[in-house]
Amino acid sequence: MRKLSDFFGLALRSIIHRKMRSWLTVIGVFIGITAVVALISIGLGFDRTIKEQVSGVFGVDTFIVVNEDAFMGGPGGGNHGGGAEEYALDLELLRSIDGVKVAAAVRERTGFVQGQPDADGEVLQGFLPVSGLSPELMTEFESFTGELEVLPGGRLFEPGDVDVAVLDYEISQRLGVDVGDTILIAGDGDAELDVTIIGIMAPPEEDESSSDGGGFGMQFSGGSDGDTISVPYGTMDLLWGPADDVLVTLVRTNPNYDVDEVADVAETALNDRGSEISAITYTDISEAIGTMTSTISAFLAGIAGISLLVGGVGVMNTMFTSVLERTKEIGVMKAVGAKNAHVWTIFLIESGLMGLVGGVVGTILGLGLSSIASSLIGNFFSIDMVVVASPILILATLLGSFALGAFAGLWPAWRASRLPVVDALRYE
Amino acid sequence: MPLMTMSGVTKEYQLGKTTVRALRGLDLEIAKGEVVAIMGPSGSGKSTLMHILGALDVPTNGVARIDGADLKDMKEHQLVTFRGQKVGFVFQTFNLIQTLSALQNVELPMIFQGIGKSERHHKAKDLLERVGLADRIRHKPSELSGGERQRVAVARSLANAPEIILADEPTGNLDTESGQSILDLLKQLSARDGKTVIIVTHDPEAAEIADRVIRLRDGCVSSNSVMSAGESHA
Repeated sequence: MRKLSDFFGLALRSIIHRKMRSWLTVIGVFIGITAVVALISIGLGFDRTIKEQVSGVFGVDTFIVVNEDAFMGGPGGGNHGGGAEEYALDLELLRSIDGVKVAAAVRERTGFVQGQPDADGEVLQGFLPVSGLSPELMTEFESFTGELEVLPGGRLFEPGDVDVAVLDYEISQRLGVDVGDTILIAGDGDAELDVTIIGIMAPPEEDESSSDGGGFGMQFSGGSDGDTISVPYGTMDLLWGPADDVLVTLVRTNPNYDVDEVADVAETALNDRGSEISAITYTDISEAIGTMTSTISAFLAGIAGISLLVGGVGVMNTMFTSVLERTKEIGVMKAVGAKNAHVWTIFLIESGLMGLVGGVVGTILGLGLSSIASSLIGNFFSIDMVVVASPILILATLLGSFALGAFAGLWPAWRASRLPVVDALRYE
Repeated sequence: MPLMTMSGVTKEYQLGKTTVRALRGLDLEIAKGEVVAIMGPSGSGKSTLMHILGALDVPTNGVARIDGADLKDMKEHQLVTFRGQKVGFVFQTFNLIQTLSALQNVELPMIFQGIGKSERHHKAKDLLERVGLADRIRHKPSELSGGERQRVAVARSLANAPEIILADEPTGNLDTESGQSILDLLKQLSARDGKTVIIVTHDPEAAEIADRVIRLRDGCVSSNSVMSAGESHA
């Protein structure tokens, strides 16, 4: 150990003595390290940013139920045509599962809707999207729905509501109706219902930053803008029978229950009852995001790794030159008692140190570059990109860069150590 | 019993396709504490003999025994340890490490023997003081004169307190005055410390400080003359 620290001193002096060449070699290394660190760091930041956004919506006690094709890994590999797939759901069965605290679902149909006669006696009517919303959606799952606002004088659904409706602002204007008016909704067969309007949704603000507070883009109307008529979830049964058109279900578990376990039980129970669904927890989503971002990161880092390889070859080249011009010095060291292993170690430390210095410089530059890139990406997507300076990444990079240097020096160092002392001393 | 015994030593090596027979059955004995000058024309085998006497190389045939140990029985790492502890080298071209100060150059052999920093430092300082360089210990070789460099080299050869000092043309790159002071230093090592000093040289001045002059010709000892007291200490 004592020798090792002396060998570090010898190697360091030799590097400093050949400043110019050492720096050029180090530059070759740190360009590669900078690229690797920046890309991995941006990748990690991206991963954490997305996960933080998702976890802000989800919390640790919530899972969602979607069509089994709608989440990554489904047989279709995703949803078809961009819209969420519908599925059949027994909401009461779901609510009865041990550990489920509250469950709220959204189903949607297109229904025949008839408004009030206007001043000229004309009645507006047509086929419009009708959503069934559990009242709990508004009270328990605000993080998903965002803050739903109705115009003054109106209200949202409450438990026990049946023949009531909440209209999007635009459709209320087109139908010419207001809170207290009645509209007719026709369902399957003869089923039809007069529902009283209890609220009109506030018109969306003309602000582009619509993602604020709006959950993560979860839409409760069928994707069309402002023309949805919402009724309580149970009311849909009266019009269209048992639910086979559910878009999404949100479930909160009781404290002390493991959300992943409850989700598994729910998934099995519902699928046994004929649903074709996946119950997705935060863990599932974060795993999916992790797989995606780490694949991208690995790909980019692999490309950056090529420049690292070039840096390594640079170290090797420098070390070979160094061995050649110090042949006599090696002979002297061996004449005064240096063993092959000593010579080998000194040269290995020397090349490792060049790698390490490249690693230190590269790490600093890489982290700087990633924070600049993060703020640019953040501005572009209007999100707060997290800048990750992971201690593990830094430590691994420093160790790795030393190892890279040492590895590149293995062969030259071996050659140096094997020089016959008499020949080395004679070298001019 | 002599400190070094060479009997029937031959050394052959390949130079391209030709086999060079550098030593051809050489016999030699050197006693402890002797100052021996080895002389001879170029190609007589002086350097090869010095390599074997310094355990840098082993004979092709014959017996080379140093301090009771037969070089042919030794493995590479044993030879390294042996010369690290028993032999100190002084070269014609000084062969100091340019990146190290005078002090660090003297410390170098001790590093390979695993001697601790403070002990090393202390010893190296003493040795440099002894060769008259107390005020130059922080200087790099490039900042020293030829004579001073060779003094550093002498100090380095003494680092691990070896019994044998092997000097290969120690005055070859020095002016007369510096050369003489190096020779005085070497003589002193034998007289005061009882070291065995072997000087390979062309320089008649160097031969004058020797107790004995061994002349080589064509890889064999051609003459082996003991210098008289008057001659050697003129």
